[in-house]
Amino acid sequence: MKTDFEKRYQRAPLHRPAEKVSARVRAASEDLAARLHKQPDRLVSLPYYEELFTTEKRKKELQILNRKVVGTYCYFAPEELIYASGDVPIRLCSGHSDTITTAEELLPRDICPLVKSSFGFPILGDGWIDACDVIALPTSCDAKTKLGEYLADYLPVWMINLPKIKNYDGLKEYWLKEIKLFLHKLEELNGKKVKAPELKNALQLLKRRAELYRAMYELRLAHPLLLSHQDLLMVVQSSFYDDLPRWINQTELLYNEMKKASATGKYAAKGKRLMITGAPIIWPNFKILNIITELGSTVVADDMCAGHQRLWDYAEPDEWTLEGMLEAVAARYIFPSVCPCFTTSYDRIDKILHLAREAKVDGVIYHDLRLCQIFDMEKDLVVKVLKENQIPVITLHTDYGQEDVEQLRTRIEAFLEMIL
Amino acid sequence: MITAGVDIGSVGTKALILEDGKILSTEIMPTGSRPKITAQMVLAKALAKVKLKPDDVRHVVSTGYGRRVVDFGEKTITEISACAQGVKFLGAPKGTVRTIIDLGGQDIKVITLDDEGNTKDFVMNDKCAAGTGRFLEVIAHALEIELAKLGELALQAKQTITINATCTVFAESEVISLLAQDVKKQDIIAGIVDSIAERIAAMSNKIGMRPTVAFTGGGAQNIGLVKSLEKKLDTEMYIPELPQFINALGSALVAQRLQSLR
Ligand code: SF4
Ligand code: SF4
Repeated sequence: MKTDFEKRYQRAPLHRPAEKVSARVRAASEDLAARLHKQPDRLVSLPYYEELFTTEKRKKELQILNRKVVGTYCYFAPEELIYASGDVPIRLCSGHSDTITTAEELLPRDICPLVKSSFGFPILGDGWIDACDVIALPTSCDAKTKLGEYLADYLPVWMINLPKIKNYDGLKEYWLKEIKLFLHKLEELNGKKVKAPELKNALQLLKRRAELYRAMYELRLAHPLLLSHQDLLMVVQSSFYDDLPRWINQTELLYNEMKKASATGKYAAKGKRLMITGAPIIWPNFKILNIITELGSTVVADDMCAGHQRLWDYAEPDEWTLEGMLEAVAARYIFPSVCPCFTTSYDRIDKILHLAREAKVDGVIYHDLRLCQIFDMEKDLVVKVLKENQIPVITLHTDYGQEDVEQLRTRIEAFLEMIL
Repeated sequence: MITAGVDIGSVGTKALILEDGKILSTEIMPTGSRPKITAQMVLAKALAKVKLKPDDVRHVVSTGYGRRVVDFGEKTITEISACAQGVKFLGAPKGTVRTIIDLGGQDIKVITLDDEGNTKDFVMNDKCAAGTGRFLEVIAHALEIELAKLGELALQAKQTITINATCTVFAESEVISLLAQDVKKQDIIAGIVDSIAERIAAMSNKIGMRPTVAFTGGGAQNIGLVKSLEKKLDTEMYIPELPQFINALGSALVAQRLQSLR
């Protein structure tokens, strides 16, 4: 199988299976699932999604399925093309803290927890990466750009050369070519060409997903506690792993249940309405959300690449030619994205202002992962503009560990007292 | 009516007894490893000083990192709100306080107040003890000097050296290597104090400090730090009496309001 890393210089892959670490990873998921389970008046369609995190059912299914599995990172690996090829995308960005020490045997300590956490899994021989045939990795931030060479010790890796400047001409010149190159690699992998109707089907399926998510999101704005934000992220992130048509069916059930439950009027927001922005909050690293819940307030919106943004966007399937559809796919990944790996933060600021106003938030929490430079560097201007718009904001600089929970609680609690 | 505020900090636990806006007594103890018991003891001692019994206290409000472990408080508030309340109540002789710098055991906080004296914004150091009370303790230990004497000694420095390390552990080893080079203790202390003042000044400027600036917490007892900070911020600071008890005072004040709600 083709890889972008020819073996000019080699390093033997590090394998360090450790049942204790794997057990802690499982326990972290089970603990969070148990915690979510205990939420009052929780909808009955939700435990379905927990299973994708707490059991190996889906992984086993993937292993016997006669389809290629493409491990992806970030927002930018084009799902449309992977589905159109008949393959399955699985997003590998991880929120587990227990795999970080394992990864640090090889990776430097001073890189972000998301990348270290994700890289612990191939070393352990555990997690979703086990079920993957190939990895598609966008050159988004520095850490992701350099991760490819490490991952290439384990699996074939395709780098996706992401432009960092949003510019329409450049998009056609160069990003569209990159998208086509990616499609070509998929075609080689599968030994067959992707035809226009197949891509159209994939676009339609993803549009269906976006429409469903949008309906759910809008309903939730009026009745936020229909889904706690933890549950919302769980639903969103389960779509990274689940069979897509099955996930859509299940989420239709969930949406119907939400509609019915909203009539009871029981699900109004408690305490303050908050928005969370910044570095991805990925299962099971929900510590900030859990603290906010414990303090009696409600997160009603986010702009994250592993949250709202992921399912909100889609490429319009109203083009008929393959070329036209590929252009739509190319545009989808650049213009609506608010990932800070692009040169300006202006789109992100606009989006935050829009979401914050739409969700009528009382304040914004800026989540900053330690050693993630790009979110840290965007912070100053984002905070300034929010304050100028009379939206209170607090920044939290943290990582995947639990040791600062009390400090975080004090900051968030003081913030809530302040915006009284 | 008598109320009490208990501030269970990472290093010290403080209690303050208040009667109708008058401070009756205060007490402080190291928090140690059993904050719940310490909090009870501190409160009992503060009461004993003025011959009061626990039953005489109508309401107790707790604050600080240990605020949730105590079982006698009717309400908890964060140290940020407590500090703002305490400072607002005390007022400042030379103009109204608009910025509070609070240097505690494991935190540096800068709080800005609006024109009504309510919290407008705040920043805290993240997950790192550099420049906090704990940091000063470590340095004092490395220099074999009493913590309380650091401030005075800093003022006696003949020359100021620059301490580069911002991390507690590295700063400690930097101090040790400076000692090995025969650098005077006073000069080292002045360097350390300057590096802390630098950090606090950067936080204050970032959040947009306005005079009058109040300096509270244990760190405000360090005269060397006060002087260095005043120079860096280019403003005279107001240091309330009993700077370590401001948060306890703020809590006791909130406890009084519980009273009037009834
Ligand atoms: S914020 Fe951007 S770089 Fe970071 S994980 Fe998300 S898409 Fe990737
Ligand atoms: S964008 Fe930040 S959080 Fe995301 S992978 Fe890169 S460094 Fe890590």
